[in-house]
Amino acid sequence: MNDILTVEKLNKSFGSKKVLKDVSFNVQPGKIVGLVGPNGAGKTTIMKAILGLFDFQSGNILVNGERISIVHHQPLSDVGALIEYPGIYPFLTGRQHLELFADNETTRKEDIQNIITKLNIESYIDRKAKGYSLGMKQKLGIALALLNKPKLVILDEPMNGLDPKATKELRDLILQLTKAGTTFLISSHILSELEKLVDEIVVIDDGKIIKQTSMEALSDSNGNYLVLTTSDDEKARKVFIDEGIKLEQTTEIRIKKTSDDQLASLIQLLSNHGVNIIDVQHEHSDLETSLLDLLDNKQVEE
Amino acid sequence: MVTLIRQEIFKLIHKRSTLIGTIALLVLMTIFAIFSKLQPSFSDPKGDFIAAYGGLSWVVFFMIAACSTIIAMEFQYGTVKELLYRKYYRGQILASKWITMFLYSLYFYVLSFIFSIILKLVLFNSKFSLTDLYSNDQSIMHTTLVTYAGNFVGLWLLLSLVLLLANVFKSSAAAISVGIVGYFATSIVSSLLFMLINKWEWVKWNPLNMLNLPTQLSNSTVVGTLTRLSNAELVWGNLIYTAIFLFLGYLIFRKRNV
Ligand SMILES: Nc1ncnc2c1ncn2[C@@H]1O[C@H](COP(=O)(O)OP(=O)(O)OP(=O)(O)O)[C@@H](O)[C@H]1O
Ligand SMILES: [Mg+2]
Repeated sequence: MNDILTVEKLNKSFGSKKVLKDVSFNVQPGKIVGLVGPNGAGKTTIMKAILGLFDFQSGNILVNGERISIVHHQPLSDVGALIEYPGIYPFLTGRQHLELFADNETTRKEDIQNIITKLNIESYIDRKAKGYSLGMKQKLGIALALLNKPKLVILDEPMNGLDPKATKELRDLILQLTKAGTTFLISSHILSELEKLVDEIVVIDDGKIIKQTSMEALSDSNGNYLVLTTSDDEKARKVFIDEGIKLEQTTEIRIKKTSDDQLASLIQLLSNHGVNIIDVQHEHSDLETSLLDLLDNKQVEE
Repeated sequence: MVTLIRQEIFKLIHKRSTLIGTIALLVLMTIFAIFSKLQPSFSDPKGDFIAAYGGLSWVVFFMIAACSTIIAMEFQYGTVKELLYRKYYRGQILASKWITMFLYSLYFYVLSFIFSIILKLVLFNSKFSLTDLYSNDQSIMHTTLVTYAGNFVGLWLLLSLVLLLANVFKSSAAAISVGIVGYFATSIVSSLLFMLINKWEWVKWNPLNMLNLPTQLSNSTVVGTLTRLSNAELVWGNLIYTAIFLFLGYLIFRKRNV
């Protein structure tokens, strides 16, 4: 097994309340995996368990094949994390936070400067953190998570409080680090943003994993559509119905995409009947739609 | 482990309260010394020197405050996650905080001692010399060292309790109050305590009685009949209770959900 992270049948209760129920998923090296689900689904709880922050009733968590528990943290030397909100000492400056946690004795100076430049936080890094805004604290938290060049990075709601420019910079940085081999597990409610990042997605609801799937598979399973505008929509509809092609119940002519050469045959068909195609749009269902569908149907993966 | 202690010291040095504590200690000692100089009839210059011009008592308050915040602050600032997810064992993290506090208390003691000498040289140089005999036919210097040592051991019994409570309540306020109450409780309830000890011998082993160590060291014969313990028994009692309180704190911290 060469997953960087494996979670097997994880069960966790707070008192009598079961919060995680047989949670299993895995993360392969170099991937960006999104962890999504409604509020209170258990995303933060999973991440904390991976970081050995509390006991769980049963199950296994392996990082690089080594078991993690509240009393066994050794494998976490390769992990960086930001959970919920960044922990910040108000009496230290941003740079002092980085100095505090920079692990690698020989490269600490470069590491610190490197992450400051990458996250573009130079302008306020030498001010006391007491006076930081929400987004400034968030960026410092991300800097701390990435500081020691971890192999696995766990980010809980990393875009929280970031402006659009900072969000894009963070996205670019994550993609750049992934190219260099870093693995990410990211939870976020900003699906449009997550969509641009992740290779794989793990969906959790009410403490249970509903689905783990690659992004392509997810959007395929929910379908892509062709939306046609023609010189004579009325006639086109009739032609399609006569040919037994299923149309969606919408005002435009919308056809579920089944294969790549499908469009060619549709054009052929219409021109045979003297109808011209004016415009074709490819419509992909976005992550949000797919996810809402999934949560509505609760089609639990076997 | 060295890394963890270095981190704790780094945080301690950058906290404003550290600088304030140091300055406050020096100012309070100076005020005390000047008063004692101005009111010679009410003061005992040798005894004042031995008690570091009140410094040893102030250090108790500063240390109670420091110990109650060193753990509670991590919960308050949400930094406890940052601290605990790293590759270290929880025991190491807790121990690094203990050791830092130990070094901090040593720092305060050394500071009190050096500043006492300065105050003596400046204000009371002509009054006495450190080699003069004080109580029990010991030199002032010797008595001073014994007093410091006794206070230090007693201080740590109190601090181990504060560290335990700060850990239980995750809040510094509760720990501070118990620490300070504990500090005064000894003098307030000691007569009651001595009565109980008179009645039931075993009561002498309770931790409050152990806090009488510094008093007994400066006045062995009188107090010894009240505590019913020898100096050595008191010292061991202090150390053992300190170890028990610290260990209980460890048991709680080890399995804490954060
Ligand atoms: N310390 C705790 N004690 C008791 N219950 C808890 C604790 N922490 C979390 N829970 C419960 O566990 C469940 C999952 O919480 P968690 O924080 O993991 O959700 P989440 O998926 O991160 O939600 P969100 O999207 O709002 O961040 C919730 O029902 C919450 O009430
Ligand atoms: Mg959460």
